[in-house]
Amino acid sequence: MEWWEKAAEPYRGVTLKVIGQSTAPSIVLRDIAAPEFEKVTGIKVDFEVQPWEVEYEKFIRDVTGNTGIYDAAYIEQDAIYAFMQQKWLTDLTELMEKNPQITDPDLDVNDFTKFIEYFKDSNGHIFGFPFEAFLKMYIYRTDLFNDPEAKEAFKAEYGKDLKPADTWEEYEQNAKFFTEWGKKKGIELYGHTAQAKTGYPAVAYEIVESIWPAMGIYNWGINLEKWRATVENGGQVNSDKAKAALRWYVDMLKYAPPDVKTYTWDEESSSVAAGKVAQGLVYCENLAPLICNPEKSKVAGKVAVTKPPTTPEALADAKAGKGYIGYYDGASYSIPYCSKNKEAAWLFIQWVTRKGWDLEYTRLASRVVRKSTLESPEIKDMDIAQGGYFTAFKEYESLFSGAAPLPMHLVIIDIYMNWISKAVAGEATPEEALDGLAKEIDEAMVKLGY
Amino acid sequence: MITKTVKQFFIYLVLVAITIAIIFPIYWTFLVSTKLKIELLDRPVPYPTRFASENYSRPFVKDIYGQYLMNSILVALGNVGLVLLLAIPATYGLSRFKIKGKENLFFWLITNRMAPPAAFIIPLYLIFSGKVLSFIHLIDTHLVLILTYCLFNLPFAIWLLRGTIDSLPVELDEAAYVDGCSNLGILWKIIIPLAKPTIVVTAILTWLFSWNEMLLASILTSTRASTITPAIIKFVTMAGTDWGEMAAVSIVCLIPAFVFLGFTQRYIIAGLTFGAMKE
Amino acid sequence: MKTSFRKQISGWGFLSPALAVIGFIGIFPFVYVVWLSLYEYNVFSLKGWIFTGLGNYLKLILDARFLDSLYKSILFVGVTCGIQIPLGLAFAILLSQQFVGRGVFRTILALPLSMAPVAIGSMWVLITRPAVGPISYWLSTFGITYNISESSVQAFLTTVIMDVWHWTPFVTLTFLAGLTSIPPEPLEAARVDGANAWKTFRYVTFPLLKPIFATILFIRIMDTFRIYDEIWALTSGGPGTATRYVNISLVRTTLAQSDYGYGATMSVFLLYLTVALCTVLLKLISKVRKEYE
Repeated sequence: MEWWEKAAEPYRGVTLKVIGQSTAPSIVLRDIAAPEFEKVTGIKVDFEVQPWEVEYEKFIRDVTGNTGIYDAAYIEQDAIYAFMQQKWLTDLTELMEKNPQITDPDLDVNDFTKFIEYFKDSNGHIFGFPFEAFLKMYIYRTDLFNDPEAKEAFKAEYGKDLKPADTWEEYEQNAKFFTEWGKKKGIELYGHTAQAKTGYPAVAYEIVESIWPAMGIYNWGINLEKWRATVENGGQVNSDKAKAALRWYVDMLKYAPPDVKTYTWDEESSSVAAGKVAQGLVYCENLAPLICNPEKSKVAGKVAVTKPPTTPEALADAKAGKGYIGYYDGASYSIPYCSKNKEAAWLFIQWVTRKGWDLEYTRLASRVVRKSTLESPEIKDMDIAQGGYFTAFKEYESLFSGAAPLPMHLVIIDIYMNWISKAVAGEATPEEALDGLAKEIDEAMVKLGY
Repeated sequence: MITKTVKQFFIYLVLVAITIAIIFPIYWTFLVSTKLKIELLDRPVPYPTRFASENYSRPFVKDIYGQYLMNSILVALGNVGLVLLLAIPATYGLSRFKIKGKENLFFWLITNRMAPPAAFIIPLYLIFSGKVLSFIHLIDTHLVLILTYCLFNLPFAIWLLRGTIDSLPVELDEAAYVDGCSNLGILWKIIIPLAKPTIVVTAILTWLFSWNEMLLASILTSTRASTITPAIIKFVTMAGTDWGEMAAVSIVCLIPAFVFLGFTQRYIIAGLTFGAMKE
Repeated sequence: MKTSFRKQISGWGFLSPALAVIGFIGIFPFVYVVWLSLYEYNVFSLKGWIFTGLGNYLKLILDARFLDSLYKSILFVGVTCGIQIPLGLAFAILLSQQFVGRGVFRTILALPLSMAPVAIGSMWVLITRPAVGPISYWLSTFGITYNISESSVQAFLTTVIMDVWHWTPFVTLTFLAGLTSIPPEPLEAARVDGANAWKTFRYVTFPLLKPIFATILFIRIMDTFRIYDEIWALTSGGPGTATRYVNISLVRTTLAQSDYGYGATMSVFLLYLTVALCTVLLKLISKVRKEYE
């Protein structure tokens, strides 16, 4: 603590303005970490939380207008490439080198999980320190998968044992089985869930982050050298593989609860928490707060987590480092270039990612960014309570990757959303939608100068 | 020949139907605010079985929604004050004085009210964060909203007031003038008292608009001066929409507005005559 | 009527504070938006600002997606105003009758007006959710599948009903104002002449209400075109694009896609469309008002 007090001496009385998301990890920072920081350093923290879109818009408005309002901002991993390219963020590696007096000697950059790689530019300089990280894993109901009656019926029908799916064919069989099982038993049970609300970006993210990679289509189907999406120009968006994947996704919705098309990120996990769903892909930032908390979930203690189903090729690619099977989700706090209090902000960022507190933070918000936390003995209890999440995290972390380095991400996600929504809503076939999407992406790339 | 009782019965029937249609969604919101999160995962029981007071206490006691509510009240009242202060004289000027290009001016005023609010986001942000005139730093203050809402409320107020003030006979002005009243005196002693119903209506509708506005409030304020409407969307997160708390905040947000409107609805009726009826 | 020099200056004196405020916050944005609409400018573009003159406007009127949302907006405005204005008038007539508890009912009318649009949208989400909402449940007992995330028609109708729920009370109160200020003599005369209720309404009451009718039409059309909060909360413009009205398109383009240039173009276009529409209506109002001076 003395180090912090001393280092912050020149900045006492400064007020930092920070903007974060209205999700648990940021709220924990606002309610717990920031007041503590104030007490120790005398630097005040004005911490604002907003929903996902609003947070981005405010940050972008600040940096494009050069208004210098925010000193630290929540930057989600998939957006950092856009912001790095626009030079909106402070180079933290440089900041550290120039200011050893305010760099925590205990920072231990190497202790961070591989997630920090995704916040570096091509020179290896760090532009954001991760404070939250999650994997979108495959979650399933242990009580249902272990139910002897269900196991018997499954074996009778499919000739093999009931188990959590490894491949997409198995996933589909499980989905079909449990949906019919629900009907037979007269309970509200479905074999699948998704975030299929049309007109809202979540459905597009599900396709490009979770479904496509696990079926062998990486980087949103865009060729990263030529910046094109159509097959003719080297992309994969309207390839047969991609079309088959989207068609599969749209068809699978029949095994999901009937209101699946109203689901965004959180309703998807709520459907699991309500006990209506036997298996599904869920963002694990919802795991602890929602699904493992008996006050908020009907299935607390009855879920387990493992890696998502994949095609064999995708898994092989991921193991060889050529591909990935899912999105390594998370965010950092970064310093906008126009901030007037960069040094004080740097102190704050180190404060929220410091080693001494990381375990407690994991306990509060179920996010892991340091290897030391993952290795610590205390994490075992949390692991059990959360269906083996941390074990799975350690085991499969290497197969996940941060988002594709697409600097125009925020612009084109809307285009993906428009077309994928059309396919999901039935306004176009998946094939038509992807043809249209690929064409429009190519056009947008040209317009943006790529 | 329809008898009086049949007519009464029919009236009451329709009224009951209307009341149910109006109250039901609001009742449901209140119901949701009494439920625990786990009850809301499925179809909740349609009557309150317990009162989940944490849905109210967490936002208002633990979090700073109480402050947001206060901000809403301050901004709304401030804006009403400012609008009335500016619009009444302005309408008086427009109505009673020969001003060249009056109709065009009036029309230009109204176009501000017609414009899509989204168009103003960036320019207003630039103005108030000091990029246009560098001494202006009004982001996240109450004043910024009180001023910004004038953009929409002033034209609307002038428009509402104009009909009434136009219909007040000029002879009253002249009589007062002959008695030695200045222009300001005429405004204060003659016009305002006679236009009171419309002024009250204008105040009410201005207050309502300021109270309910969300987009600009979310853009121009953050932690200190945020009103309660942008705070409602904060509940929609990637990690679970807290319907119970959201409903609780919606209900609390509704109460001041309703109390205000409920007591003044008779003034609305009296004041919205637009001065078009003359014998 | 006096038109002395003194009075002219004083007139401007009374007007100028209001003009100053509106000018300060209204002129710069307007100029900025028009200027921005002449450029192709996306925040994430590598090419920066590109002057295109009226190119954006040309692109806009040929933009199928925008025209589609414009069409849906016009349809929405037409249907919803077409319902809430006659309905409001009917309720106003009803509430102007004498009966016990009249004040109570009038007060209840104030409820929908007191809710923030974003709260109204969320409220309707709660009651229309397919599995969890009461309306869906109730309709399913009649064998009707009600799912606004699947059916475009149902989604559209729900947005209409939501808007009607929200604003019919306002229309009602406005017409009540008009009705209560109708002098009783013409009505008496009609009654003495033996006219029945319908004839009285058609030939006496309604003509006297025309100015208010035109005004409320003007207000509602202008405001319904600008609707955003409630619809976004309820459907996000979905399913697909079924309820993606014109203001949603605008906000998504400007804020989500960061296409400031094109968004500005849309804003200017929509402003002038509304202005054109309202000019027509305003002229109608003043013509009608003049008939009764």
